[in-house]
Amino acid sequence: MSQKLDFASADDKTLVKAAQKGGMQAFEELVGRHRDKIYGRAFSMMRNEEDAVDLSQEAWVKAWQRLKQFQGEASFVTWLTRIVINLCLDQLRKQKRLRAESIEQMDEELGGVERQMPVVTPNPTERLERGELRQRIDEALAKLSYEHRTVLILHEFEELEYKEIARLMQCSIGTVMSRLFYARRKMAVLLAGLKREELR
Amino acid sequence: MIDHETELKLQAYLDGELSAGEAKAIAGMLGRDVCAQGLYQELRIAQSLLPGNELERMLPESREFYWSKIQRQIDRVESTQADGLPEEAASRWWPRFLAPAGVLAALAVFVAVVLRSPEGGGTFLALDDSHEIETPLEETSSFSFRSEAAAMTVVWVDSHRE
Repeated sequence: MSQKLDFASADDKTLVKAAQKGGMQAFEELVGRHRDKIYGRAFSMMRNEEDAVDLSQEAWVKAWQRLKQFQGEASFVTWLTRIVINLCLDQLRKQKRLRAESIEQMDEELGGVERQMPVVTPNPTERLERGELRQRIDEALAKLSYEHRTVLILHEFEELEYKEIARLMQCSIGTVMSRLFYARRKMAVLLAGLKREELR
Repeated sequence: MIDHETELKLQAYLDGELSAGEAKAIAGMLGRDVCAQGLYQELRIAQSLLPGNELERMLPESREFYWSKIQRQIDRVESTQADGLPEEAASRWWPRFLAPAGVLAALAVFVAVVLRSPEGGGTFLALDDSHEIETPLEETSSFSFRSEAAAMTVVWVDSHRE
């Protein structure tokens, strides 16, 4: 007689194994555990609640379909995060194709104003509480173009190397380096509370 | 003034993405170039601020509602796949018979062309001594072109004919 699995106390590995055998309840427990993280990653990339809910949901469905392919090289949540990142990137690429690229957008891609920005050396966030710092970082990220924001998310939050980011974003390592450089410079300025107008 | 390539190398040095030789060169430059030091410091601050400081977000839907949507979508996808199986299976078997059927058809045409004499009822259009066009069966709308010189027979079948 098989022992009944206590889903709430089982670890991810056990739940994944049960789900791979078709256990829907085990999969539901995984959804319950990691839904905020997956939604959060989708939101950080899309900056839109509706898109983030839809894409995170789609990621879970894809995960269920591909669950047998999951071999456990990375953690389940890392694997799932990659799925949602790929879905978000696909969606962002579609959106970008739909909107006409303005000169301003192209300028931003190539560095634009950031080329002339003075270096901001004192740490602008030294005296901030952690909660306030997180809020300021989030607001600054929202002001970046999706290419700059994505490269920062993938490098600083997901801790991916240049080549992995290049593969995900379907661009060269040189482009990743350039985007990351301008994204960081812009973040430094935004966190220091400077506005574009002050730089002109 | 630092050129863009050096700026990117400074950043790659910060991220640990340079080879040992390049890292040594950049470390040397940082020791003597004030501009490089300032930029490096700015990049270092920006790099150190983000990790561990991502705003946590909560899904704006209850666990039950969210799961019910996922479950419905999974059911829908799985039922679509199940429905699609017979059609998929059918579409998989018939291409396997294409090649043998083609060979048989070519053989049949070849035999028909070889056995049928010019007087046998088919219509022959002589082009010259070594070429002829035959329309052996009017109702099937097929034409064969034969070139003795090239030792070649081409059969054209009009499948769109009413």
